[in-house]
Amino acid sequence: MAIPIIPSLLRESLAEMASTEERIDGRSRYEGRNLEIEVDCLANAEGSCRVRMGDTIVLAGVKFQLMTPYPDRPTEGGLMTSAEVRPVCGPNWEAGPPSEESIELGRVVDRGIRESGCINTTELCILPGEKAWQVIIDLFAISDDGNMFDAFALAAIAALRTATVPAERFDVGEDYRLPVKGTPIMCSYHKVGGRFVFDANKREELGGDERIHITLGDEGHVHSLQKGLRGVFTATEFDEIMDQAQSRCAELREIVHNLEESL
Amino acid sequence: MGYDNYQCMDANGIREDGRKADEMRPVEIVCGVIPVADGSARIKWGKNEAIAAVYGPMEAHPRKIQRQDRAILDVRYNMAPFSTTDRIRPGFNRRSREIGKVTRDALESVVDLELYPRSKIRVEIEIICAEAGTRCCGITAASVALADAGIPMSDMVVSVAAGKCNGIVLMDLNKPEDNYGEADLPMGILPMTDEIVFLQMDGDLSMEEFKQCWDYNVKAAHDVHAIMVEALRTRYGGDV
Repeated sequence: MAIPIIPSLLRESLAEMASTEERIDGRSRYEGRNLEIEVDCLANAEGSCRVRMGDTIVLAGVKFQLMTPYPDRPTEGGLMTSAEVRPVCGPNWEAGPPSEESIELGRVVDRGIRESGCINTTELCILPGEKAWQVIIDLFAISDDGNMFDAFALAAIAALRTATVPAERFDVGEDYRLPVKGTPIMCSYHKVGGRFVFDANKREELGGDERIHITLGDEGHVHSLQKGLRGVFTATEFDEIMDQAQSRCAELREIVHNLEESL
Repeated sequence: MGYDNYQCMDANGIREDGRKADEMRPVEIVCGVIPVADGSARIKWGKNEAIAAVYGPMEAHPRKIQRQDRAILDVRYNMAPFSTTDRIRPGFNRRSREIGKVTRDALESVVDLELYPRSKIRVEIEIICAEAGTRCCGITAASVALADAGIPMSDMVVSVAAGKCNGIVLMDLNKPEDNYGEADLPMGILPMTDEIVFLQMDGDLSMEEFKQCWDYNVKAAHDVHAIMVEALRTRYGGDV
């Protein structure tokens, strides 16, 4: 992504707002933007989800392929998450091979899902040593107005939890719902004007400093962490956002589960 | 269902998806679906879904790509990995590059590029869900997105395709008709003058069949144009 020229005025005004506990769009410090989430919205994907957070819009599509298990793990299938941030989603994203930013996005989301153990790769095996399912989650950005990490992670887990294994099409039995144990949820905090805020928008990202991504599982266990961009933070700051993440992740998990029940 | 015995039409002249020979799939267009873009549109065309975004006019860089007398159009066409039955691996793709180029050639014929010397206008077309005829969806969506961005144009390009399956000339082939069919003729038409700015064809058509495809396309272009205008009117009101 081409980093646009950041007006020092933006940094200054963000710092000024922080001193009076304000945010650029009127939200409180740990308040998220308006959330819309829809599953089963892509006809050619086996699982899909569209997430809108403010003006950030993303899609996730789950596809299945047959693979030969790796020789050292003959009884396991595969799980892959890939983020493709195409230049359609914003003025500063450029065409070309995957940028560092989009690779980081994909990998951080991937770790949260993989390490939570919600997909048992052994269950993806069809014939040991010969045939197994590879599950691929493709993340696709439509509109980038900041915090694509949380949008991607939420879309990914909701698409995965509502995916159907297309066994009939591949002639290996009947279609069935992909078993997913657990609902890992990511919450991201950006340092803006010297303090951490939840769900930063694009202007807060541009005029802010480092960011921290926390993925929590069903029991409140930590499954992935990532600190991104330039900046320092203290243990006290981290404790505070971890507390915030615990309650926010539980709320979001509830939303995903309600969505599944409505299907 | 093999290649040889696919029947696109029943005894009453009705196609598998319920259409008559000269009927199009339903088309639905919405403007302004990408909040951060300068112009955008989403088109649903049967099971096809495409989105188009326009960014600019902006500075063209590096400088060697600048044109001193006009703007350049930077057009990209891409299919999302989950848009088809078999996943598409992201990355370089000759088909996408060619479609991007012919789309640019079509749009450059109508955009008033001389108004913006040394600039670039980015047009991004993304196919979200594919069911045959995605290039027509993309070009049509891009035209609406350009209009939504307020870029001056002499007309909007409307792209439609007719073809042939089982020896019958059909408007707007769907997936099986395209797979098992004998020909496809996508065109880009300017509805105000009926001029052509985009033309491709592959397959086998007699001169009579070709004429029939052409006539179907011109008529369909006017129908789709009305839907494009309506989408813009819904967003902006008044006369478009």
